[in-house]
Amino acid sequence: METLLKPSLYATDGTLQGGRCTCGHVFFPMQGHGCEVCGRHGADLQPMVLKGRGKLLSSTIVHLHIDKARTAPFTIGKIALADGPVVRTLLVDPTREIEPGTAMVTALVPAGAGENGQTILDLRFTPET
Amino acid sequence: MARTLKDLRPVYVVGVGWHRYQNPSETPYVTLGVTAIRDALADAHMDWPAVESAYVATALLGMASGRPMLRHLGATGVPLSHIENASASGSTAFRQACIEVASGLTDVSLAVGVDKRNPVRRDSTGMDNLAEDAIAQFTHFSLLTNEYAQRHKVSFEDIARVAVKNHRNGAKNKNAQRQQERTLEEVLGGKKVAGSLTALQCTPVGEGAAAAIVASEDGIKRLGLDTSRAIRVIGSTARSERVYAAGLGFDAVLTKETTTIALQEAQVSPQELDIIELHDAFTVEELHYIENIGICPEGQGVHLLKEGALDIGGRCAVNPSGGLIAMGHPIGPTGIGQIGEIALQLRGEAGARQHPKARTGLAHMVGVGAVCYVHLLQRP
Ligand SMILES: [Zn+2]
Repeated sequence: METLLKPSLYATDGTLQGGRCTCGHVFFPMQGHGCEVCGRHGADLQPMVLKGRGKLLSSTIVHLHIDKARTAPFTIGKIALADGPVVRTLLVDPTREIEPGTAMVTALVPAGAGENGQTILDLRFTPET
Repeated sequence: MARTLKDLRPVYVVGVGWHRYQNPSETPYVTLGVTAIRDALADAHMDWPAVESAYVATALLGMASGRPMLRHLGATGVPLSHIENASASGSTAFRQACIEVASGLTDVSLAVGVDKRNPVRRDSTGMDNLAEDAIAQFTHFSLLTNEYAQRHKVSFEDIARVAVKNHRNGAKNKNAQRQQERTLEEVLGGKKVAGSLTALQCTPVGEGAAAAIVASEDGIKRLGLDTSRAIRVIGSTARSERVYAAGLGFDAVLTKETTTIALQEAQVSPQELDIIELHDAFTVEELHYIENIGICPEGQGVHLLKEGALDIGGRCAVNPSGGLIAMGHPIGPTGIGQIGEIALQLRGEAGARQHPKARTGLAHMVGVGAVCYVHLLQRP
């Protein structure tokens, strides 16, 4: 059995839980506080499933990290999603920086085990093959 | 219509002081703070009771840290406010002190920044994120370094030269946390934190204090201060981040917005700037900011750096104090320390760091949020 680490942010099919304002602004993650562009809130902000694909803007290998829960080295990527928002998160390969402009897709990778032994999956990005 | 600082009463920096920025120690923050204030009072040749309002900049000391410090100068009953604005806390306190004097509500005001290295606490916004806990500040700037190097076909070695210059400047500054010259090999050879970024290309975290006293012409006259050492504040501008196009570096765009307004209001062109103190917490930032301030076109910063144009004695001395990389970045004090360095430079009192014929200076600070503060100072 598998569960997601952050089910409020992404789904098992690798899509992301974003939102869209009636003004047209697309954002991630979904939130109801208010639109950063126009200030609308409430029913003007609706959930929008964002495709798990985009283009790499940059990446970097982290050699040193203070939080012991994250063991260095790991790789962080900045990805412009096909639907608009820019996100930053871990890449699947912890040892390699990737050429900017590379097409990227989401991947769910094991990130530990839950109480009942089930695998916990977290969302990462990796080059599209 | 709203007016600018220059339209109000003239404001002058009349006293600046520091407690040296240093590695975390057992020294209480009270000692750091009162040392800087007494240094600024001595620099101005005035006594504490002349100060009519006080702004205490601190990001990491917690609630109400000012009064337990200021009371040791003599509890005059001076109005007191605390300012927290991340890295720009000190710049914000300085702006408030300037505004109060310019408005005519006071003749003499103090901005003091003091901090110790305590844990940063930020409450939840109620929104989750993918992996922000994995992205330290140096990782954010390593991403920007990689983008800059790629976009402008610049080598990591050349970007690291910012640190060589700023360590060289800091070596001549008795208030700097790092006072040691470093070769390019030493800067590049240190331990890597993320990507090509090495520890000597990052600001050290530390503690310290800085103070600046500002006064009106009435205040200067009444207290009999030396008008030839008074440096006028000709501009003060603050902005916060808007929504920018995907992939644009928000710190750089925000810097451009804020500086453009500041220079326009003060009627100063970028080419007139003799001194710039800017937020070089990481080497690539200095290149981003000088380009967005308008010292040179985008991508050309490295050329200026390599030909010595940004050195003390060059076209425009950038971070003659040593900047955040060498002078240090204890958070609350940093923006006020920049004002202090510019005041010394414009008075001709910067000693071994003196940039010849300095007349106009710009202080730039960005803070997490993001916010941006720009001040312009000029020798009358
Ligand atoms: Zn909107």
